Amino acid sequence: MALNPSGTPSPRRHMIPAALVAVAVLIAAGAAIATTAAYFELRPSGPPAPGTVAVTDDLGRTVNVPVDPSRVVVLSPNIVDSMVRLGLRERVVGVDCESAAFGGLTGDYSPAQITSWNLTSALCVQVGPTLSVEDLLNKTPQLVLTSTIVSLSDIEEISSTYGIPVVTLAPATLGGIVVDVELLRTIFPSAPGAELVGELQRSIANASALSSALAANGTAFPTVLLVYYVTPAASPSPGYWTFGPGTFGESLVEAAGGVGIAANSTVAYPELSGAQVLAADPQVLLYGTGFGLDLSTYQGAPDWGNLPAVTAGHDYPIDSTLITEAGPTMLLEGLPQLTALLHPGA
Amino acid sequence: MGAPAGPSPAVPARLLRRFGRRGRWAILLLGGTALLAASAFVGPVAIPPETVAAVLLHEVSGGALAPQPCGPLPLASAVCQSRIEIVWDVRLPALLLAAIAGAALGVSGATLQGVFRNPLADPYLLGLSSGAALGVAALFILKVGVAEANIVLPFLAFAGALGTGAIVLAAARRASRSVETLLLTGVAISNLLSAVMLVLVLSNPIGSLQVTFWLLGGLGGATWARDGIALGGVLVAGGILSLYGRELNLLQLGPEVAQSLGLQAARVRTRLLFLASLATAMAVAFTGVIGFVGLVSPHIVRRLLGGDYRVVLPASAFVGGVFLLVANDLALLALPTSELPVGIVTAFAGAPFFLALLYRRRRAVPDGGMP
Repeated sequence: MALNPSGTPSPRRHMIPAALVAVAVLIAAGAAIATTAAYFELRPSGPPAPGTVAVTDDLGRTVNVPVDPSRVVVLSPNIVDSMVRLGLRERVVGVDCESAAFGGLTGDYSPAQITSWNLTSALCVQVGPTLSVEDLLNKTPQLVLTSTIVSLSDIEEISSTYGIPVVTLAPATLGGIVVDVELLRTIFPSAPGAELVGELQRSIANASALSSALAANGTAFPTVLLVYYVTPAASPSPGYWTFGPGTFGESLVEAAGGVGIAANSTVAYPELSGAQVLAADPQVLLYGTGFGLDLSTYQGAPDWGNLPAVTAGHDYPIDSTLITEAGPTMLLEGLPQLTALLHPGA
Repeated sequence: MGAPAGPSPAVPARLLRRFGRRGRWAILLLGGTALLAASAFVGPVAIPPETVAAVLLHEVSGGALAPQPCGPLPLASAVCQSRIEIVWDVRLPALLLAAIAGAALGVSGATLQGVFRNPLADPYLLGLSSGAALGVAALFILKVGVAEANIVLPFLAFAGALGTGAIVLAAARRASRSVETLLLTGVAISNLLSAVMLVLVLSNPIGSLQVTFWLLGGLGGATWARDGIALGGVLVAGGILSLYGRELNLLQLGPEVAQSLGLQAARVRTRLLFLASLATAMAVAFTGVIGFVGLVSPHIVRRLLGGDYRVVLPASAFVGGVFLLVANDLALLALPTSELPVGIVTAFAGAPFFLALLYRRRRAVPDGGMP
C-alpha cells in the first residue's frame, strides 16, 4: 500500500490486478474486431465469385481474382517483365519504387527497363523502406501482383481491409517462372503473347539438352560464383553475396551447366567471406552490373585480386537484371548468356 | 504534499490557468483533436483539402453533415472510394496510433524519470523499448497465427519490457545514484537484447524479413482494430499512472524522506515500473521502436507547467501524443512522396535534445552524479 502507514486498506490495492483484467478484456475485445489484422499467416479465400477465378500463388495461397482485370499494380520488376511480354503493359497502373532518397523508380528498375517498358514516376507505389498503402490505393487497382518484397501483414491488410486481391509471384526455380507466366495467362485469358510459355519452355529445354550433351561428352561443369553484390573489404562485414540452395540464381547456374559454390550453403542468400571464396576456388566468377555496380565495386571486395578465377581472366560481368529478376527475360536472355560464358565452345 | 521544486510555469501555463480545470482540459483536448484532423490533410497522395474535409465530415457524421462522401468535386466511384479509404482507413488510424503511442511513451518517460529521479530516463534509453521489441520479435519467429497475433503481441511486448525494467531497477538500486551507471546499464541491456534479437532473426529468414520491416518503426501498420487494442492498454496504464502523481512527488524528496512520510518507496517504484512497462509495450507492439518521445515530452511539460507530477504525468501523455503527431507531419512534409519512418524524425529531434541535456547536467554536476 502506498501512502498509508496505518495499514488501512486503500482503493489502489486492487488496481494492479484490476488493470491486468481490464487490459486482457480490452485486448480480447480489440482482437475480436481485428478482422483485418495479421502478421504471418494469411486467411484462405472463400469460393470464387462470378467473374473471378481462383489461383494458387507462390506462397501457396488460394486467391480469388477478377478475370482480365484492367487495372493492376505490379510490385516487382520480374512480374512487370512478364506482363510486358504477355502484351499487358497498358493494364499496369502502378509499379514498385523506392523512396525518393533511394532513387525512386531507378532504385528498382534499370534505365533500359524504364525506357523499354515506358515506366514513369506517375506509376510509383513506394515499397521501400515500407509499403505506402496510400500510393497503392491511389492507383485504384483491381489486382495487386507482388513478390516477397511486400510483407505478409501488408498483403493481408491490402486484401482483407481494402478488398483488393493480392497474388504473390516469387519463383524459386527457373521452372517456377514458367508456372507463374501460366498463372498470369489464367488471370488474363484474353492476353496476347500466348506463345511466351512455349518460348520459355524451349529455352529451358535447350539449356538442359546442352548440359546433357556436355555430360555425355565427359565435360566437367565448372564451379561458379554468381555474385550479385559485394560488401567492401573496408567494411566491418565484407563479403560476396550469392545464391544458395532453393533459389532461382542457383537454379540458373545449374541450368547453364555450372555448379554454384554456395549450393550446399545452409542459407538461401549467403554472404561468403573472402577466405570462403578462396577456399571454394570457383573456376568462373560472374558478377552483376547496373544499379550502381560495376567492376570497380567488385574489385573492392575482399581478396578479389587474389582469386584464381580473376587472375586467370575468368571473371565476367552480366546485367544484374538478368540474374536477380526471375522473369521471362532471365530465361530468354540470361540463361543463354550464362551458358555461353560457362561453355564458350559449346 | 507540495510539488517539488521545478522550473516556474511559463506563459502558456499562466494563460491556461485563467480557465478552470475542466476548461483547461477541454482546450487541450480540442487543440489535440484539431491537430489530429489537420494532420489528415497531409500524406503522400495529394488529395484536395475539400475532399479530405468532406470524407472526414461524412464518416464522422454518418453522412448527416456531408451527404456526398467525397465532396462537391466530381470523382469516379472507384477514385472516391480510394479517397475514403486513404483518409479514413489509412491516415486516421495512423494518426490515432501516433497520438496513442506518443501518449504512452510520454507518460512512461515521465514515470521513469520520476522513479529513477533522473531526467535522462526514457523507455528507449533504459532498454524497455528494446525489451518490448524482443518480445515482439519472438512472436514473429514463433509464427503465431492470424487470430492469435493481435492478442499475443501486446502481452509478449509487455513481458519483454517488464523483464528489462526489472533488471534496470535492480541495477539502479545497486548503482546508488549515478546517472552514468543507470544509462550505461540501459545501453548494455539494449545491446544485449539486440544481439538476442539478431540471433532470432538469423534463425528464420522469412521471419527476419518481417522483423526488419517492423523494426523500421512507424505508423504504417495502423488499423482501427490495432488502435483499439493499444488505446485500451494505454488508457488503463496511463489512467492508473496519473493517480500516482503524489507518490512520485514524494519520491523526488529521496527514498528516506519518502519512507519517513509513510511511502513504501520500493513497492511504489515496482508498481510504477510495471505500469510504465505496460504503456511502453502498447506503443512498441504496434509502432516498433520509436525513441526519445519519452525523454523529450516530460521536459517540455516541466518547462511549461512546472514539476508537479500530478500535472506532469497526464500532461506528458498529451505532449507525447502531440509530439509524435507533429513528428509524423514533419516526416510527410519533409519528404512528401516518401513515407519516412517517424522514428527517424524523433531521433533527429531527440538526440540533440538528449545531448544538450547531458551537457547541461555535466556542467551543473561535474562528477555526473545526481544533484
